[in-house]
Amino acid sequence: MERTEALLIADLCEGDETALAPLVEKYKRMVYRLAMQITKNHADADDVMQETFIKVYRSIRTFRKDAAFETWLYRITVNEALNFVKRRERQRVSTLETASESEYEAVTRYRAQVANDPHAHAEKAELRHHVTKAVNSLSLKHRTVVILHEFEGLTHAEIAAILNCSEGTVRSRLHYARKKLRTLLKPYVDASNI
Amino acid sequence: MRLKCEKIGRLLSDYIDGTLSERQNSSVALHLRSCGVCKREVVALKKTNHLLENFYVEPEASDAYYARFTTQLQHRIEQSAPTALHQRLFAVATRLGWHLLTQLHRGIDHSRLGGLFSIRQHVFPYYIFGLTLTMLVVAPLLLIQVSTHDDGSHVLSRLYAAAKIRFFSVDSPISVQPTAALAIKQDTTGTQPTGIRRNVNSGHPTEPPAIDSGSDVWVFTDEPMTEGYIFTTLQEDDSDTIPSVALDIDSELLAYAEIPAQGAFWARLTGRDVLTESRYALLLLQGMDEQHALQQYERKWNGSKGFSQKLLDVPLETLSISEVYDSREL
Repeated sequence: MERTEALLIADLCEGDETALAPLVEKYKRMVYRLAMQITKNHADADDVMQETFIKVYRSIRTFRKDAAFETWLYRITVNEALNFVKRRERQRVSTLETASESEYEAVTRYRAQVANDPHAHAEKAELRHHVTKAVNSLSLKHRTVVILHEFEGLTHAEIAAILNCSEGTVRSRLHYARKKLRTLLKPYVDASNI
Repeated sequence: MRLKCEKIGRLLSDYIDGTLSERQNSSVALHLRSCGVCKREVVALKKTNHLLENFYVEPEASDAYYARFTTQLQHRIEQSAPTALHQRLFAVATRLGWHLLTQLHRGIDHSRLGGLFSIRQHVFPYYIFGLTLTMLVVAPLLLIQVSTHDDGSHVLSRLYAAAKIRFFSVDSPISVQPTAALAIKQDTTGTQPTGIRRNVNSGHPTEPPAIDSGSDVWVFTDEPMTEGYIFTTLQEDDSDTIPSVALDIDSELLAYAEIPAQGAFWARLTGRDVLTESRYALLLLQGMDEQHALQQYERKWNGSKGFSQKLLDVPLETLSISEVYDSREL
């Protein structure tokens, strides 16, 4: 019988290692997506994934059962990813802009998809490229808030709890991030007919 | 009008999200009826959101990658699992103990005592461990009133990350007594115990460390000390118990001391490495060259008691001379 998430967490608390695998299976894509969006680097995203789930495994007993596991996981992932980015900035290692193409399975896969899809309209492919690039060009703080709000669908309060800042700060970052995106995407915004 | 537009402009992002209060929403809607500039801004923001929703490509890895990742993670967890017989026995005993304690909590919760002791199940075992430790360690010390050398371990047992500070004279390896107190920077905003927060931006030695938030204060200890501790504590909030302060890569530890005939000094220790769970660092003030620092490190190593044992976890590269701010130059 399949164990519920609550039961898996309870089992993991009691040292049952087999309870981790189903949780990893359920959340691995979410953690990777978030880590990749923040770090913009597949190697770092991979490290963030490892550290995040290791932390879940080791710290599960500190997780409060009345809180949402997903929010807790978001918080660990975001913190790990932000730390990786800041550490990388110090070490001045490769970024999405400079690293070799082979490092980025996600980007490569996306490009391959676009190239192989006979129905993919060239304009739409270009638009996807520019919109994604615009989001990636935002500063770390702005990008993180945009990702959590626009793509993960979290509320201001949830983001504030994850980033350990006030809701006002979240609103402000979102406001400036949107203004920046609007400027970056101006030709496409002007041409849009919605 | 322009002033009004600036004010309204800051609300437009929330306006399109529908997260404004009723009053604010009405004000914005009223303004938009008469202001073409702001109206165009709203349309542009909505179009931008539409582009994000429809054309942003979320990263996705291949199934082969996820399969590889799962195997690697499993391998790493297995590696960290106890292998020796005594380690396995300890792990089993820990699990059994945890299980028994949670069962005990369940029993108390279902009995009349449950109303008296409302303790959450997941923290209940910690209460019991804490109580036992208190009985075993603190109580005998209080009863016998033994005054032992203060090695900091009593402080560290409650802390998440810490740095110990000792003040040394410029030309002598002996600790000196500051005339002013050691200063510890504390956060007073949270409801939880205090902790060191980031907030110092000044990187220039001729400027005093600037505090960019009103939430932090410098607290001077009552008595001048030759040594002390700066620390971060486990900070809890409603969502979980991740110590965000300790995880914060921008965290910086600061100390201040006035030393006879030498002036006053700021010392700053930065970097995430010293703020992790098991690492502690010795923060050395002015006057110690690297060799001298290593000698002190060796000396503490040989002491191998309490705090010194914690120092064993510190890689040598983290033991470096800190930046020093001399108040006479300020």
